This record gives sequence, structure tokens and C-alpha cells, in this order.
Amino acid sequence: MLKIQDLHVEVDGKPILKGINLDIEAGQVHAIMGPNGSGKSTLAYVLAGREGYEVTKGSVLYKGQDLMDMTPELRAAEGVFLGFQYPVAIPGVSNIYFLKAALNALRKHRGEEPLDAIDFMKLSKKKAALVQLPDELTKRSVNDGFSGGEKKRNEIYQMAMLEPSLAVLDETDSGLDIDALKVVAQGVNGLRGPDRAMLVITHYQRLLDYIVPDVVHVLINGQIVRTGDKNLAKRLEKEGYSEVRDAAQL
Amino acid sequence: MTEANRQTLIASVPDSFDTGPDWLRTLRARAAKTLRQQGLPSKRTEAWRFTPVRSLVNSEFAQNDGEGPSLVSAVPAGVTVRGLTEVLQSQPELLRGRLDFGGAPTHFAALNTAMFRDGLWIDVPAGTIVEAPIEISHVGPSSSEPRVAYPRVLVTAGEGAELTLIETYAGGRAGQLSNSVVEAELGRNAKMSHVRVHESAGLQIGRVDVRQDADSAYRSTVVTLGGALLRFDVRCLLQGKGAECQLDGAYLTDGDDHVDHHTLVEHEAPECRSAQTYRGIVSGKSTAVFDGIVIVHRDAQKTEAHQENRNLLLSDTATIHTKPHLEIDADDVICSHGATVGALDQDQLFYLRARGVPEDFALAMLTYAFVESIVDRVSHEPTRSRMREALLSRIPYGDEIREVT
Ligand SMILES: Nc1ncnc2c1ncn2[C@@H]1O[C@H](COP(=O)(O)OP(=O)(O)OP(=O)(O)O)[C@@H](O)[C@H]1O
Ligand SMILES: [Mg+2]
Repeated sequence: MLKIQDLHVEVDGKPILKGINLDIEAGQVHAIMGPNGSGKSTLAYVLAGREGYEVTKGSVLYKGQDLMDMTPELRAAEGVFLGFQYPVAIPGVSNIYFLKAALNALRKHRGEEPLDAIDFMKLSKKKAALVQLPDELTKRSVNDGFSGGEKKRNEIYQMAMLEPSLAVLDETDSGLDIDALKVVAQGVNGLRGPDRAMLVITHYQRLLDYIVPDVVHVLINGQIVRTGDKNLAKRLEKEGYSEVRDAAQL
Repeated sequence: MTEANRQTLIASVPDSFDTGPDWLRTLRARAAKTLRQQGLPSKRTEAWRFTPVRSLVNSEFAQNDGEGPSLVSAVPAGVTVRGLTEVLQSQPELLRGRLDFGGAPTHFAALNTAMFRDGLWIDVPAGTIVEAPIEISHVGPSSSEPRVAYPRVLVTAGEGAELTLIETYAGGRAGQLSNSVVEAELGRNAKMSHVRVHESAGLQIGRVDVRQDADSAYRSTVVTLGGALLRFDVRCLLQGKGAECQLDGAYLTDGDDHVDHHTLVEHEAPECRSAQTYRGIVSGKSTAVFDGIVIVHRDAQKTEAHQENRNLLLSDTATIHTKPHLEIDADDVICSHGATVGALDQDQLFYLRARGVPEDFALAMLTYAFVESIVDRVSHEPTRSRMREALLSRIPYGDEIREVT
């Protein structure tokens, strides 16, 4: 599904990612952990196509196509979803209506008819209930005046609406209380399937109790320094990053 | 239409006035004298520094006959709408002291006083509360030769009266000038919501003067959809304690448009509130000007005055001049003012695109959201949706945006 090879990325001339290799198969969930500033969000943004990130070396193939060549909206249309670490507020643009425009753009790309207002509302009600996002919040301006936890739930609600093939979730668990965490995890697990893959960025092994990953990577200083199974996350939680740092001689 | 006499604006002003009631002849003569002494403004006139009126001042126009503002809605019960000429002929005393109440006018307002031939008087008597909007339309001159029209409107709202007035300035061919004056007098506790839509292709110079008694409320929402040369001034005189005014505006400019909004709020009495919010989207090679002044007089204690102008600059070749300012002579006041000129927020744009909204559509959504917030403040729903429609008609992807909003 996603094949990243020797990816080097610079921001403002400063190297941030320094040779990332990552192979995610359909049906898998990969987790990325790593200290602050190690480049996790940078990787997420590069996958979603944000401007200002220069790929100086390497390649990213998504379903066999060169992902780096695509506009952000084309990536979304092809099934890539980024759950933002810091979702931006957009006063004046209603959450639900913008989502309808987004969903119908994706459907158009797939050669499907747009959803009419009634079907769309039905779908929205169902998905909002799934992540326990109050109806009122679906109608407000995008993330405007949302609490930290509400913003994260809104990301998962949108993901559930768009049903991506590859979801990159950047610290979707940060700022969530334990009940919200379970709800969000449920939303994510509901989307797991043989045709989908996920890349879950987190600082906390706690999330991985609910969204059990197939593979865990440790990203330090722009490189993946260790890869293992879910037990790697447990070990990191106990011991911190010093042992992997030492082993990688960083 | 007969072949009319073309003259420059200033040359068309007569030396003496021999029709109408004496007090009107006096007003007209005073205005003519001011014009002869001061002339029409130029680049050196501070308040007209950014408004390129030179070619207009030097051009020759024929005065447009009989195309005053027309009433296009029903007259709500309790309200009288009369032609100014008719009242001036049959009951001139009713209007004495009510025209040019703000003092001797200058420049284009003086020109209107000297030259206007007809207009409308809308009277909402004390205690009359009108829900349905009163709508008047100004259709600019449509002759093939350059013509000038001098629309004049007087609104009087008695104690506790409430009304909504919608004015549309439409039509008008390139090179045709409309130079309008609207005056509104609000009694104690009166409320007026005043919506004004500019979508004329002609040259437009307009002024609104509002005089407010105690506890009255005036709310103006202006939507300007471009204009070859548009200059619009609103002045509110807050003369009674506790009066408030809210002046909002949205302007969209493109091509070679020049759009110029000026506001002046004078806090003359204590405990008055004023708030101004103007937002513009400026594209192409157009120029937009916002110049807002709030004056807080010495006795106007416990004034609250806010002023904000925000602009989206969508092209490198467009120009924005923004100048909100405050002159405060009282000490117990709460005032704020601010202006911004910026581009669309890239983080917002990326968020929308990352969810699948195509770039152009996302840009249009953000642009529309920026100005729609102004129209959102209009409380009368049918009016609000008409103004939304007006905005959507000028924004790319308007149909798609309507579809999703
Ligand atoms: N626009 C920028 N200009 C310069 N440096 C940047 C820019 N954006 C990111 N960086 C730097 O890139 C590095 C990686 O940032 P990134 O946001 O990817 O870290 P992260 O692993 O997501 O951290 P966190 O766990 O705190 O979210 C940081 O050192 C950051 O300061
Ligand atoms: Mg991050």
C-alpha cells in the first residue's frame, strides 16, 4: 500500500527526515513513536502533501503510484487521510458542509454520483454517533471553539465519513481523556480492514492497547532506528528512548 | 430623451435659485457658494486623497431628468413614502430643518443639495414598528451620453419607530454618475436597519448622514460588488445618550475597480456605542480604500467605540489603503481599532485540500467565509439571503458554495 524508500526531506534548507524506509501492507497498522522534534509530523505532512517540505532524495509509492507528484486533494481522492496533530479552526466554513464538498469530490473522482442532502445527513448522523461527536459540533464552523478533545474526535468523525485507504493519524490521542480515547480507538478499529492501512503516530503506548499495531517503529532525529512488534512500545514506555538511542549511537 | 446640455459638474451649478420654499433656496444657495469657494475635491483634499475624482471633475455631464429613486416594495401600513418634489410643493414646512441637518455640506454632498430635483421621503411615525423591509432602487442613468443623477432620500423615524430600508444601486453604464445623499433622522428609541447594495457599473458617489437621538439604534450593512469608481461615506451623529450604531461593510473588488468606503462616527453624547466592521476582498488591479474616523467629544463619557477593517489581498497588483482612526477627548471610554491586510490562511487552505476539496474551490470557500460573516449580521432573513446571493454571484464556485451552505 505505502512504500517509502530512503526519504530525505528538508524544511527551509534544514534536513528533517534523513533516509526513512517504511513498508506498509494493506490490512496493517503501523505505529510510529519517537521523541519531540524527531520528525513524526513532518513525515505525516509530507505524505499529505503540505507545501514547504522539499524531498531531496528518495521516493514514496502509494498503491504503486508516485505520491509526491500529486496535489493534496488528489491524494485525498486516492484515499489518503491525515488526522492532524493540531487541527486548524476555520471560522465561517461549516464542518458538515465542507465535509459534504470533500466527500462529493472524492466520490466524483471515483466516478460515483454525489450523495444527496438526505443520504449525506444520514451518513453523518451515523458516523458522528460512532465517535460520540454531538450533532451540534458537526454543524459548527470547522474546529471553531472546539476543545482539544472535540477537535480530535472531529478528525475521527471526518475520517469515518471519508473512509480512506491509508489513514495517517498524528497524535490523535493527545489531549484525550480515557473515555474519549476508547471512543476514538473504536472509530479507528471500525475502519480497519484488509484493504486499508494505518500509520498511527503517538507518544503513548496506552493508545496501542486499544489500537493494536502490527509493527512499531521508533523515529529519532529523522531516522527510523528500531522496528519491532507491539512489545517494543511497551518497552519504550518503561525505559524511555535512551536505550534505543545508545544502540543506534545517536 | 432630449439632447441635454452638457457641462462640467461645477459649471452646472446655477448662480441663483428661484423655485421651491425659501428655506430650500437658502440651503441650495449656501451649497452653491461653498462649491464656488472650495470647488470639488482633488488629490490635495485630505479626505479625498485616495479617490481619483480628477477625470470626473473635469468631465461634462448632462443632468438626468426624472430618474429619481423608485420604491420597489409595498409601503407597509403606517408608513408614508412621498416624492420630495411633491412635498416641497404642497407642504414644504414639513421638511424645514430636515435637509442638510448635519450642517453645511461640502464637495459632492453640496453638489447634491444644489442640484437634486426629486427624491423620496420615508416617514415612519412614532411607535410604528415595521417588520417588512422598505426597498428602494436607484437605477443609474442609462443614456449613451454621460449623465449625472442626484438621488436624494430622507428617512424620518419617530420615537420608538422601527424600520428596515434596503437600497440597491444598480444599472448605470460606464461613465454615468450617480451622486446620492441619504439622510436619516432617528428619534428616541427608534431603530433602523439599513442595507445598501452597490452593484452599478457606473460612477457612484454616495453619502449617508444619520442623526440619532437617545437610545436609538442604527445598523448599516453595505455590500459593494465592485465599481469603476465608488466612493461611499457614512456619518453617524450620536447626539442622544445611549444611542448606538453598527456600521458593517463587505466589498469585493477586481479588474480596475476603485472602491472607497469612509465612515465617520461622532460620539457627542455619553453612553453611546459604536462598532464598525468592514471586510474586503481585493483582487486584480483594483484599489480599495477604508477610512474610518471615530470622534469622541469631551462630554461623551462612557463611550464604547470599536472599529475594525480586515482585507484579503488576492493579487500582487491590487492596492489597499486602510486607515481606521480615533480622536478621543473624553477620558472614560473603551475604544479599539485595527486594520489588517493579508492573504488567505495557508493552514486553513491545506486542511480543506487534505480532506479532498479542490484548491480553487477551497480558496473560494475561504474567501466567501471571510465576507459572509458581515452579511450574517443582517437579522432579517430574506434580506440576508438576498445579500448572500449577491456575494455568491461574484465569487468563483458560487453555485457550488450555495450547494454546500
Ligand atoms: N517550518 C519549519 N522551519 C524550520 N524547522 C522546522 C519547521 N517545521 C518543523 N521544523 C523542525 O523539524 C523538526 C521536526 O518537527 P516535527 O513537527 O516533525 O516533530 P515531531 O516529531 O512531530 O514532534 P512532536 O512530538 O513534538 O509533535 C523539529 O525540530 C522542528 O523544529
Ligand atoms: Mg508532531
